[in-house]
Amino acid sequence: MRLKARHEQQSIIPTASMADIAFLLIVFFMVTITFEKDKTQVALPKTELRFEVPKIAAYISVTEQGQIRVTDGESMSTPVGRVDDVDAFAANLVASYPKRPVVLKADADVPYRHIDRIIDSLKQAKVELIYLLSEQKTVEELSGG
Amino acid sequence: MKLRQNKPDDEIPTSSMADIAFLLIIYFMVTTTFAATRGLDFSLPKDDDQPPVVEKEDSVLVEILPNGDLLVDQKPMEQGDVLEYLKPKLENNPKKPVIIKPDQNAPYGGMVGVFDVLRQAKIFERELIKRADRPEMTDEEWDEGKDINISIPTQREIESFWF
Repeated sequence: MRLKARHEQQSIIPTASMADIAFLLIVFFMVTITFEKDKTQVALPKTELRFEVPKIAAYISVTEQGQIRVTDGESMSTPVGRVDDVDAFAANLVASYPKRPVVLKADADVPYRHIDRIIDSLKQAKVELIYLLSEQKTVEELSGG
Repeated sequence: MKLRQNKPDDEIPTSSMADIAFLLIIYFMVTTTFAATRGLDFSLPKDDDQPPVVEKEDSVLVEILPNGDLLVDQKPMEQGDVLEYLKPKLENNPKKPVIIKPDQNAPYGGMVGVFDVLRQAKIFERELIKRADRPEMTDEEWDEGKDINISIPTQREIESFWF
């Protein structure tokens, strides 16, 4: 007897919704991404207390070697040749954006005299609020003092 | 006679769409840098022309030495012990001013570490003030008008006004 050819069901993985999921993820990334105005790599000091820094803020970064970069928060940061130029930057910043906070992003090992000079510039320019950027202290570091 | 036409299926090929989308995701994930967006806030004095009048003997002076060691009111102290030292003083006078005086060659991390401890002391102090004078105020209301009594005088200020 001749058997009738079996009708096999095609095995298909439904991939039509894969693109939807992927595009949802892309939209999420695009909405949440914030472009850093200053990309200087520094080893930040570690603190137990940390408060959220406003998204719109001016940045001053100081590397371990004392190299300074500044940005008013509108454009990418630019290097500053001499520390005296921070005075001009701070004065211009307050003139343009009087209430804008300044975020200080400095290496933990930088000698304090560089920071002292910058804080002095900011005080003279009458900047109202600064943030000292930091990393979270870990549990081990907390128990170690 | 009816001819049977072999019609091609009307289909938009979407199988490569997911590949493209995942490539974009990978690109975003690789190029995203997690920015450090937290730190300690520090209000600068409103008017530089009138430095705050602080009696030296009334305040707590925290000096940071070039090697990062601390001298609190001239006594050597570990960073972890500063808070315990300050608490009884703040209980006596919750508005006690604290001055941080880092050496010019001290590491910046040392100053931030001390400031972190003092900010914690100020939270403790806030609780004390709230309990004593303003029990009805919420933390947010208190923060609105906060004037954290921590001063970090700069070298110029020390030379001009202090000594």
